[in-house]
Amino acid sequence: MAMSIAHRISGAALYVGVLLLAWFLIAASADASSFSLFSDFIDSFIGRLVLFLFTWALFHHLVGGLRHILWDAGYGLDAPLRDQMAWATLIGGFALTVLVWIVGAAVR
Amino acid sequence: MRTPLGRVRSLGSARTGTAEARIVHLTSVALVPLTIGFVWLMLDLLLKDYNGVRAELTHPIPAILLLAFILAGIVHMELGMRSIIVDYIGGQPRAWALASNTCFAALLALACLYATLRVAFT
Repeated sequence: MAMSIAHRISGAALYVGVLLLAWFLIAASADASSFSLFSDFIDSFIGRLVLFLFTWALFHHLVGGLRHILWDAGYGLDAPLRDQMAWATLIGGFALTVLVWIVGAAVR
Repeated sequence: MRTPLGRVRSLGSARTGTAEARIVHLTSVALVPLTIGFVWLMLDLLLKDYNGVRAELTHPIPAILLLAFILAGIVHMELGMRSIIVDYIGGQPRAWALASNTCFAALLALACLYATLRVAFT
């Protein structure tokens, strides 16, 4: 039940978070000084935090969405599996986020 | 003076609800591979500066991937927010919220698509 509202919250967060993608693309399409304004923000503590939360919302919503796709196909509706899938969403979404940030830190 | 139909119109998720739900499902399935591709692309762009990012987006595959992600993602989020609004807001504020949601999503989609295409075609 709590995972249902988490799906909505992560979805709403992504709704706002897409503004970050829009800023990135507009800056890249404008000029080098606009782009450095964006990259300075992303390199700041607040920027990193926002980007991390965006990544988490993205993966949480992605894994939660997979759960909904499975439900629609008629799988995973029984009690034990249903609870396991709720935990898997929470843990899987966070684990994927951390994994991507480790990869990001490693390549950078 | 109002007919029963006029009174209930736009108050529920019926009528166009099925079509809406189908688009939510279609975009959600499409967004699974598209999101993985998007994250992959962003990790790649992380290594690049202004000129590097622009050069990458002139290649067809990253550009098309980004355009597909933006289109599916923004349609999906517009419909998702629509269901949140319908669940929590009623009356006249609902009509305003729904209209604002659609306008915001449309502007955001246009801005993202325009910027991507502008870089892609330079």
